[in-house]
Parts: sequence; C-alpha cells; structure tokens
Amino acid sequence: MPEIVLDGLYKDYGGCMAANGLSIKVNDGEYLCVLGPTGSGKTTCLRMICGLTKPDKGKISFNGVDVTNMPVSERKAAMLSQVYSLFPPKTVYENVMFSPEIKEWEEESAKQLVKSMIKMVHMENKVSAYPIELSGGQQQRTALARALASNSDILLLDEPLRALDARLRLELRKELRSLVKEMGLTAIHVTHDQDEALEMADRIAIIRKGKIVQIGTPMEVFQDPATPFVANFVGRSNIFLGKIRSVCETCSEIETDIGAVIKARITNMPEGTDVAVAIKIGSTRMLPIPVPTAEKPEPEQPNGFFKGRVERVLYEGATITIEADAEGIGLVSSKLPNRKYDDYKAGDEVMITWVPEKASVFEIPPEGIEEELRLD
Amino acid sequence: MSLLKWINDISNNERSRKAWFSLVCLIFVIFIIIPSVFVVLKMFTEWGIVHEVFKDPVMMSTIEGAIWNSFSIAGLVTIIDILVGIPMAWIFVRKPFKGKRILDTLMDMPLAFPTAVVGISIVMFWGIPDGISIPGLGVVVSPYIMLILLHIIFTYPYMVRSLSAILEQIEPNYETAAMTLSASRLTAVRTITLPLFRAGLVTGTILCFARSLSETGGTFIALQMMGVDSTFFTGPTFIAYMKAEYGADVAMGPMILISVLMIILALLLLVVVKVLIMRFKIPVKKVWPQLGRKVSRGAVPKLKDVFSIAFLVLMVLLPTFYIFTFLTQPMADIDYGALLSATGISFLIAGIAVAFNIIFGTPIALYIARKRNTKLGKILDSLVNVPLIIPTTALGFSLALFWGSIYAGGSLSLMMVIFGHIAFTFPLVVRNIAGAVEEVDASYEEVAITLGAKPFQAFSKVLMPIIKSSIVAGAILAFTRSLGETGATIAISDSIKTVPVYIMDLIKLHNYTEAAFCSIILIAICFVLMFAVRILVNRGGNRA
Repeated sequence: MPEIVLDGLYKDYGGCMAANGLSIKVNDGEYLCVLGPTGSGKTTCLRMICGLTKPDKGKISFNGVDVTNMPVSERKAAMLSQVYSLFPPKTVYENVMFSPEIKEWEEESAKQLVKSMIKMVHMENKVSAYPIELSGGQQQRTALARALASNSDILLLDEPLRALDARLRLELRKELRSLVKEMGLTAIHVTHDQDEALEMADRIAIIRKGKIVQIGTPMEVFQDPATPFVANFVGRSNIFLGKIRSVCETCSEIETDIGAVIKARITNMPEGTDVAVAIKIGSTRMLPIPVPTAEKPEPEQPNGFFKGRVERVLYEGATITIEADAEGIGLVSSKLPNRKYDDYKAGDEVMITWVPEKASVFEIPPEGIEEELRLD
Repeated sequence: MSLLKWINDISNNERSRKAWFSLVCLIFVIFIIIPSVFVVLKMFTEWGIVHEVFKDPVMMSTIEGAIWNSFSIAGLVTIIDILVGIPMAWIFVRKPFKGKRILDTLMDMPLAFPTAVVGISIVMFWGIPDGISIPGLGVVVSPYIMLILLHIIFTYPYMVRSLSAILEQIEPNYETAAMTLSASRLTAVRTITLPLFRAGLVTGTILCFARSLSETGGTFIALQMMGVDSTFFTGPTFIAYMKAEYGADVAMGPMILISVLMIILALLLLVVVKVLIMRFKIPVKKVWPQLGRKVSRGAVPKLKDVFSIAFLVLMVLLPTFYIFTFLTQPMADIDYGALLSATGISFLIAGIAVAFNIIFGTPIALYIARKRNTKLGKILDSLVNVPLIIPTTALGFSLALFWGSIYAGGSLSLMMVIFGHIAFTFPLVVRNIAGAVEEVDASYEEVAITLGAKPFQAFSKVLMPIIKSSIVAGAILAFTRSLGETGATIAISDSIKTVPVYIMDLIKLHNYTEAAFCSIILIAICFVLMFAVRILVNRGGNRA
C-alpha cells in the first residue's frame, strides 16, 4: 500500500486559497484524519489526492511516483463521498459490482469478491435493495463495500459519518476504522469533528486556510498543541493573555493584564514577551471557596491563580461544565465529572487553578489572538 | 464492443477529451450558429438589392406592418400567458385534484400537434371559413385577433411548464413561514414567492415570445383560410408568401431585409427581456393586510382557480381539438401515397436532426450544466439560445443562403432542410439535458471515476441511466417540434414536402376535409409517440 506525499500544493479558487502550500506525508497503511473547520480546504485536499481537482502548483506522489498528472481512474484512490453517492438505478449488489464490472474482471472471482465485501459490511440481507430503500447507515456501509471492492490502495473519506444520526455515528467510528485496517489500506479521513478524529486516527493533521498547522498522534495534538488555534479547536481551551514574568526549571510564570500571575509549562521565549496561555477546560480546576460559618469563621482558603464567580453550571450527562466569570479576564470554563454537580451553584466564589505542565504558552500571532481563534 | 473500449480509453486522456469537446464546439458554431445569422452578413454583401427595397414605399410599409404584427402579437400573447399562466402553474404544482394527470397530458398536446393542424382547428372554432360545413362560433373575423388566439395555444404550454418547473423548486416553506408570521396567502405569495420566480418568468417569456415570432405554418394556414394571406402578414408569413409568389431570386431584397430585422429585433429582445425582468422590482414593499386577507379567503381564490382551468379548457384545449369534429364527416379521399411519402420525409428529417442533436448536444449540455460559472460555460449557455429566439423562417432562409453560397447545386435540399431542423431543435435538446444534469449531484460521476471508471464509462454507466428519461423527453420534444415545423422547411426548399407542408398545400387547394383527415392521422401518430414516451419516462423515473 502506498505512501502518499503532498508537496507544496496551491489551489486558488478565484481569490480563495483552498490550498496554500499544503504539504503532508501519509505513511503506508496509516489512518490519517485531516481535521479542520468548514472552508479550511479539507475537501480540496482529498480531491487533489484522487485527481478530481488539479493543483495550480505542487506535486503529489504515491510511493515516490509522481501522479500529479495521472488520470483519476488510474490512481486507485477511491473516494467515499459525504452523501455516499450510491448510484440510484443500481441495487446494493450492482453498486458494489460497479468496479469489477467496468474493469472487466473475471466473472466468478468478481462475484466472490463482491459477495465477501457485502458480507464484511453486514449487508447480505439487502443485496437487491435500491439505495433509496436503505437507511443512512446501510448506505454508508454499501458505499464502503463498493470502495473496498474497487481494488483501490487508498481510501479517501470525505466526512463519511456526517449524514448519520448521532448515535450511529459513534458506533460506526470503530467499525469503519477496523474495516479499513483489516484491508490494509492507506486512509485519509476528512472531518470537522474533533472527537471523531481523536478516536479514529493514527495521526491527525490540523488544516486551516489551506495549510497544515500541526500533524501528530491524537495525544500529541491534544496535549501539546502547536498554536492557540489547535489548542482551542481540538478540545476547548481557556485562553489567557499576558507577559512572561519569569521562567524557572519546572514552569513559567505569566503576568496577566489584571496583574494575576498564572503558571504554565516552561518556554524558551524571553521574559517580557507577550504570550497567550491555553489550558484545556478539562484540565482547568475550580476550587470552591468556603463561606465563613459560625463553626469555621476563618475557613482554609484554597490555593490558585485567581478568583471567579460561578455564572452557571451545565449538566451534560457524564460531565458538567462550569462557567465562571473572573474579573478583568472574562468567562473561564471547567469540565468536571458529573458527581461534582452538587458542589457548585451560580454565585459561588471559586479559586481557579491548574497543573502548570498542562498549560501551553504561545507567542501572540501577528494577526492577533481573536483572528487566530476564529473557527471559520 | 471494441469501439466502446476505444472510446473509454481515449476518454481517459485529457487531451483527447479537450480535442473532442473542441470539435463539438466547432460543429456547433459552424453548423448551427453561423448559418443561423448568416443572412446578416449577406445583407452587407448584397446591400445593393436591399437598398432597392428602401426606395419602394409600398414594400416598406408592408414589411413594417408585418414586423409590427409579429412583435405586437408576440408581446400581447406573452402578457396574456403570464397573467393566466402563473395561477395555472400554481394549480399544477401545489394543488392536488382529480383529473390533474389528464389535464397535465392534455396541456402538452398543442406542442405535439403539427402547427398547420392547429391553424385549421382554430379558424374552424372561432371563425367562419368558406368551404367548411362544420359550424364554428363565428365570432372572430379580424385576422389580428385570430392570430392572438392561435398563438396563445402554441405558447401557453411553454409558459406554464417553465413556471411550474421553477415553482417546483421553490419550497412552500417560505410561504408557510410568512403565513405563520401572519401574512395573508396573497401577501406571502406576492412578496416572498413571486420574486423568487424570475428565472422561470424569463425562460417562459423568451420561449413564448420566440415561439410566437417563429410561428409560420399555423399562422399561414389561418390567414389563408380567412382569405387574407395576400393582405395581412406577419414576418414569417411574409417571407413564405414572397418566396411562393415571386421566387427566392426576385424577392431576395425584401426577404433579406425582413429576416435581418426579425433576427436583430429578436436578439435585442432576448437581452432586453433578461435585463427587464431581472431588474424590474416586483412591488413588495407595500402590503395591504386587510385587502390581502379579504382576497385570500372565500370565493376569490376559488374563482381564480376556476377561471384558470376554464381558460385552459376553453381557450386552449377546445379550439385545438375542434378539428376532430371532422370525424363526423364522411371520410375524404386521401392520397395515401403522397401522405405516406410526406410522413416518411418528416420522420427522416426529425430522426436525423434529433440523433445529431443528442450526439453533439449532450457534450455541450454537460459543459453548460457542470461548468456554468466558467466563461466558456456562460458563452455557450447564451449561444444555445440563439437558434431558439430567431424566427425559424428567418433562420431557414439564412441557412439556405449560407449553404447555397458554399454549394451552388440544388440537389442537396433535403440535407439543407435537415441542417435547418438540426439548428432550431438543438436548443430544445440541450436545454432539456442540461436541466436534468444540473439536478444530478456531480459526486456520482466523481465517485465513479475514483473507483476506476474512465470518464466515458462514468457518463455512460452512471450519469446516463439517471438522466435517461430527460434525454428521451428532450428528444421527443425536438422530434415533435421538427415534425410540426413549416416555416423553416419552406424557407429552405420548395421541393421537400414534409407533412405540414403537404397539409398546407392541401389547404391552398381548399381540400379542407382531406387536410383535416391527414391531420388527424398525424395527430394519432404523435399521440402514440407521446404515450410511448410517458411510459418510458415513468419507468425510468421510479427509482431515480
């Protein structure tokens, strides 16, 4: 199975750069998720790999062979489209049979292959159904079987789970990944759903404005984001602005605009640099500040970086999210397990803190932090 | 099989795809566009004889009168069509009622009838022609009003079809939303849906106008039956009359002049209509809630529906089918040999024209549908309309001049008639296919290619089965249009007798009964054809 290399691709759609120096190396047999907001150039990236869109500039190679000008039909890169595109006048069987038929494979072995693919995606009971009679999940499976039966080496998945019900989407994540792995394909899966990417990918490539911002394992991307955008896009983060006050051996200290000092992991930026600190909301802790009572007129105060007042507590099932207003900083969020639900209520004072190693420090990008964090 | 494989293989090469498409564009321009407007060039090279016409005041006033008649009739007819077409389109799209399917099929019938037949039928219904023993209403004796009534029949279905097509795409949700926000139905329709309607209005207006301007066969016959064919003219009948009366050589000057005038005015009109309707603001700012509510309830909407259906039945269907009253008459002596040979020639011409248009029109339709936003896409999109808007008689005349200037011999007249029919049916085929392709998500073909299909396989195995029914529908539309065409045929050749020309000749000889029976036979053939298509379309449409 091939290794895919995209080298400096550019694609200009009348002033809108869908690819702006896009470079990725996808390893042999890897399941890569390309994660990015709507309009970031994800789909263009897929279309360039299979050849449906021609880059203005740059080179695409499979296993070291330049395929930039190879016809789409020769690339062996099958696309699984968002809407599945099962051919309406054909049955499930005929749809899966599409590739073997047009490639004129030997009939008996083609039949065997198609049958085994249909079985693999558990569609044996629906072989003679037409696409319109299938549920979303069944359509998705059929489209997958059709792609797998085409003898392609590369599978390109364009938001393959998007059109499905929320619950089914979760179930199909594992199934889809294991099928692709079983076939040993190199897969590139485009999505805007970070949970999906985190769960399914061997590696995640974060794309924005036609460029790859970061590429790494789900853990790397989640825990060590390369930019404030990644920090906020892959799992929400609280972002604080300030100046580096000092850097010690274990952590760095940043003075925020209102004077509170917060801690983050070490950085090699010099003191005095304007920085943004990002901490995942799941790693942000809010310690209730006890109210003085008759028994404990001076209760022990918890340690933390600054105070906030709880604005609201959202119950989300397994987790709760607390939103607290910190004076001069704005809203800060924290995600906690649901058993903590009773510990907080609106109006409570809390002390906000986190483990310094979990907070990343970024230089403020030239176009400003607001622009950097925009999700479009 | 090996040819198919060869096509598949070369379709995989981008260069050969480009070469094929360039060839198609070249054929489109050389065989269709240039011949259609060649007469304009001819006017400059033959300026001398055209200039002579200016010196002849009688001729000039006749030409001016003919042009005025053509355009004012087309304009009035279009306005009437819009007024009665909008409520009718509404009924067809939004209201389920008994007999809707039958009405739906009946409405297309005037499109399939040879225009000459409709001409006879109309004059019989409204007027009092000499030599026919079947009683008519006898209320219309003015040729101008008769032609308006006649042209409504030819244009009405186009208007309702264009408007329905757009209305079907406009979701009723908008109206519903407006009504939940307490707008009355009339206000909702007027302020929300009507403005979304413009595209359909443009298409409908252009189609109606063009159809009325082009109409020759039915018009000529109607005028003849009223005995005014040498005194009352429209543009096309003037060309036909001049050619028949004085011959193409003697009447060259006036014929060139009127053709050029018709072509230029028609093309100008195409632009003006587009701009006007797109710029014209349907008044939506003001609302009259009281009035809106009053006319949205009770008797008014019902009256409107009743009026719309009554119009369709009384003004369109009844006059069209009035010719069948001849069935009560004793059967005429029909020259079956002549009729059969005319039918054969008609079918041959229509068949070749449609086949040609499917082969060379499909690539253009695909390009227009898939690359609408590119420059070439836009140019092709406009160019395709040219043969549609040019009056077919002028087009036929122009075409004859073009091929005549290349090949002087006269024996190729059948070929030239075929070229003429190719030109004016080309837009019908292309528009139908392009419309269908636009409805199909491009991802079907794209996915097929990534699965290893060569581009031609993606077209033939994936797209084709989905749009098959629209291709057939377009082909039938073009076929029947070709079958019914009179003006272009007589403008190109005197010797080629297609069925409508044959029927026209019978009328000239006042053989009304024979003409009527020939018409009824032709209608029967058309009807069987339409019926076959309905079945085909329905069968293909089940799963798509």
